[in-house]
Amino acid sequence: MSAAFDARVRAALGNPLLKVAIDRTTGTARTKRAAAMAAWPEFAEARLLGRDIKDHVVAHLDHYLVEFERNAVASGAKVHWARTGQEACEIVIKICEDAGARSVTRAKSMLGEEIGLPHAMADAGIERVETDLAEHIIQLAGDPPSHIVWPALHKTREQVAELFRAHHSDPGAMETVEQMVASARRVLREKFMAADVGISGANFLVADTGSICTVTNEGNAELTTTPPRVHIVTAGIEKLVPSTSHAMALLRLLVRSATGAELTQYTTFHCGPKHAGDRDGPAEFHIVLVDAGRTKMLDDGLAEMLRCLRCGACLNHCVVYRQIGGHAYGATYPGPLGSVLTPALTNLADSVDLPRACTLNGQCEEVCPVAIPLPTLLRGWRDRSWREGLEPAPLRAGMRMWRFMVQRPALNRMGTDMALLAMRLFAKGGWIRSMPLAGGWTAHRDFPAPQGPSFLTQVRNREKRS
Amino acid sequence: MSDARSAILAAIATTQARRQVGPRADAATIAAEAAALRGRADATRPDRLGGPLDAVLMRRLVSPAIGATTEQVRALDDLPGAVGRYLAARGLARRVALQPHADLRALRWGDIETHDDIAVDEPVAVGLALGAIAETASLVFHSSPDAPTLFGFLPMHHIVAVRADSIWPWLEDYSDRIAGAGQPRNVNLITGPSGTTDIEGALVRGAHGPGWLHVVLIGTSSQDTAPHSTTSP
Repeated sequence: MSAAFDARVRAALGNPLLKVAIDRTTGTARTKRAAAMAAWPEFAEARLLGRDIKDHVVAHLDHYLVEFERNAVASGAKVHWARTGQEACEIVIKICEDAGARSVTRAKSMLGEEIGLPHAMADAGIERVETDLAEHIIQLAGDPPSHIVWPALHKTREQVAELFRAHHSDPGAMETVEQMVASARRVLREKFMAADVGISGANFLVADTGSICTVTNEGNAELTTTPPRVHIVTAGIEKLVPSTSHAMALLRLLVRSATGAELTQYTTFHCGPKHAGDRDGPAEFHIVLVDAGRTKMLDDGLAEMLRCLRCGACLNHCVVYRQIGGHAYGATYPGPLGSVLTPALTNLADSVDLPRACTLNGQCEEVCPVAIPLPTLLRGWRDRSWREGLEPAPLRAGMRMWRFMVQRPALNRMGTDMALLAMRLFAKGGWIRSMPLAGGWTAHRDFPAPQGPSFLTQVRNREKRS
Repeated sequence: MSDARSAILAAIATTQARRQVGPRADAATIAAEAAALRGRADATRPDRLGGPLDAVLMRRLVSPAIGATTEQVRALDDLPGAVGRYLAARGLARRVALQPHADLRALRWGDIETHDDIAVDEPVAVGLALGAIAETASLVFHSSPDAPTLFGFLPMHHIVAVRADSIWPWLEDYSDRIAGAGQPRNVNLITGPSGTTDIEGALVRGAHGPGWLHVVLIGTSSQDTAPHSTTSP
């Protein structure tokens, strides 16, 4: 484990408030998702359909990109293409500058975080107003998001109250969550109407209409994208669907998996700028299609990961995420999906800890609404890190020794039997409190003493008996 | 076209050519595959709609998950009365922003003062939805000169009239119906009042959009929901 990752994990594990905050939100999310799925016996079939829709799009990605572009342009949108995150940021900044933008509102978009748009805007001297409540909280706190659906999951209500008291012009009472939400509503209302440009992401790009779909519960996306003169969308090229009806099938999966609701309060399809006679809506509509490593994933055998709907269910069900939270991963996307994506979007050498931070219990794959084989993909990264020599020397030496042993059954049996014997010497009352070479385990919990002979010996004995 | 565009499309084509056995699919084959996928959706829908469409919609609107309130009236002429009762019950001023739709303007509003622009902190707006979707209890709005988008997002109380003969059973019944019909700037599917669970997972209404959604259903539905129905009104 790298020193930096180790330090982040230790800091997270040593923070009792963080564990409480994670348990509250992910616990509710798991309960609500389970209830939604229990009420949907067709889920298994819907999941395979979701998988197949995404695979179909990815298999014909160039076809759908061209179709989307054609229809978006026909509706009056301007379509931009970006190979890298940096290119995408430059395009967005240029549009903002051309629009003479001083203030820009932004509706939560993980792609925006991924490509570093907040930093790029700060560097360009453009005021950025995050409008999702959680993003507003972490913007005031100067924190990165810790969850892809609930970015401020790591903050308790007391911490939020403190932030709002310090930063809101007229905070009023801050005793209840309702009062905090009302204060944010007052502050952001003025910002929505004063913005020159609104930036959003997209949950879907609809090829046959050239429209983009956003989903929110707060209504901040529409208030971000309607009043300003310019609306900019940044979206990954994998977000395509053939038609609105295909988007509907995926919305059923996305929303239930994320929050347990059947549909978010606001599901909006944005198509082109405002029409002649419309009283509101932007005069300019820009869509930035971002590659930033996605075509490379296609080439590297990670096409299955391009199915991801960013629902966050794999985070809520991950035993590792639920212990260490999002910041410990040190990447834009935490949890199982992040541990697959981060090495692909950055590089394996700098993120090799992430695929290791996994028990391979398979829960993430089980709850994934588009059946991404996350454990298999994580094992793929581990395999590659082994082949590229990224594992530390002691581990490599240990693995070589183990291979030497298991390729020699007699030696392996002898070694195992001796180890069992030695372990019994350290056991008291069926448990081992400490033992050489096992400090990493026994420092935190007792180790069960071996019960009877080894598995291989038991099999051999059984074969002899029969 | 830009370098980035050609580079991205070339990268995809190269990978696909290497992984593909046989020739690339043509547009007709891709369209046929997409249509087959669409065809599979009907059997995956949560098959628990039952009864007349208006009853299903009204039942679902008031469920705790949606959190709207409702009233059913005989005809659109009864809408001002329903709006008046709503304002009186909540002690709200008899002054509303009225969506600039000819059908709404033609009504007799009596002592309720109406204006057709919407303020940033508008207390109450009254609108007319294009229709509703029974499956999810969603109200459908298409932006147009007589349906500005912000009417659904700025007010604290949003009162929406919807005709009972404009209810689609399933999400796809609506989306199939509008396919190819010319997309407005915004299609808004509104499913309950605004809410957030961003602070410790606690649900609070009125995050940015309306804190209250009141649906006035006009008339009754003649159509029943059939399981996995593909019909539309």
